[in-house]
Amino acid sequence: MEATKRVSMFALATAIVAIALASPIQPAAQTVAAKSSAGENSFGAPQWSVQVGKVDPGDLAVASSFQIAIYESLLDELSKTKQFKQVLRDGDRNAGSVSDLLILKTTVQQYTPGSETRRAVTTVSGATKLTVRSQLCTREGAVVLERTINGNVRFMGSNLRATHNLAHNVAKAIKQSSLPDLAHAAPAQNGQI
Amino acid sequence: MNRKTIPPYRALDSYLLKGLPALTFWTLLILCSDGALAQAASVTLDTSSSVHATHLLGFQGAKNNAKGTLSIQDNALQFQDGGKPAVQVRVKIASVQDVFLGEQSKQVGGLPMTLGKTAAPYGGGRVVSIFAHKNYDTLTLEYVDADGGFHGAIFQLDKGQAEVFRNELVTSGAHVTASENKPAKRTTTEVVSGSN
Repeated sequence: MEATKRVSMFALATAIVAIALASPIQPAAQTVAAKSSAGENSFGAPQWSVQVGKVDPGDLAVASSFQIAIYESLLDELSKTKQFKQVLRDGDRNAGSVSDLLILKTTVQQYTPGSETRRAVTTVSGATKLTVRSQLCTREGAVVLERTINGNVRFMGSNLRATHNLAHNVAKAIKQSSLPDLAHAAPAQNGQI
Repeated sequence: MNRKTIPPYRALDSYLLKGLPALTFWTLLILCSDGALAQAASVTLDTSSSVHATHLLGFQGAKNNAKGTLSIQDNALQFQDGGKPAVQVRVKIASVQDVFLGEQSKQVGGLPMTLGKTAAPYGGGRVVSIFAHKNYDTLTLEYVDADGGFHGAIFQLDKGQAEVFRNELVTSGAHVTASENKPAKRTTTEVVSGSN
């Protein structure tokens, strides 16, 4: 009986840890930005709009599904931050009429496809890793913000989850950095996350 | 002299009783995985231009990870969400710019199976993981909306169906580049860009 109890307690504890690991931690700061009105950020300053460019695989053989997943996840996550007045897609004709537009360029620097089965069997190997260089540029080509950002899946979840994690980190990095005033763009801020 | 001899049938009985919790656990685990496998096996090609698929992400208006039917009707690509209420999303085939095929291996059974495997004693879950995976095809579409905005959508199909469906799309007039004709198998080799 005691052995059964011990096994059930162990199973329960493992389940709690697994659920805690699976659910991403939501930073409290997100709720502040969510309340900001359209066209203005949380400090009341006018907002930029952003156009998300297609993902550049560089000279790496990145699967098309990964490129698309990064692109779509970026659009999703940037919209969630409420940091921008508009989040536009690559090639959107409406971008021409938007005055305060930043363009997000994403270049893949490192890519390990990984394997969900290997992760499940070995725990320590089979991680899916993505490293990208994200640049926010003005229409004139001036780099406003530049970051190297990672997105990985190490334990649970499908390989494509790495793209979601990556996009979440990109959005977080943009949110935490101070974008220049609309009138004059500041020199590029570099860093790695 | 005082030693009691346990008859063979009693020894077997106590052995079975001791192993009962483990037996229950494994039975539940197998039943769980059985259900998942049966569900996956039910994914079949209905007609030549209609296929059961899981929408992973990107198709505007459809929920992520929604199961439904992907079909070609009246020069449009249509995804009918199987959930309640049923949602129908359509994209003109002429706006499809490219179609890519891929392949991925996924663990079956979802979260219950994962939790079961984690709780299994003596690393038994790892052994289950070796067998509890299934290969799927992925169908990646690139299309543009009315404003010229670029969209991407990824669908997960049963193995061997993505190529058939892509051919159907090509026949219906979708534009496809010849670069990725066959499902690309993934390797786990790390690749680093030389431009660093």
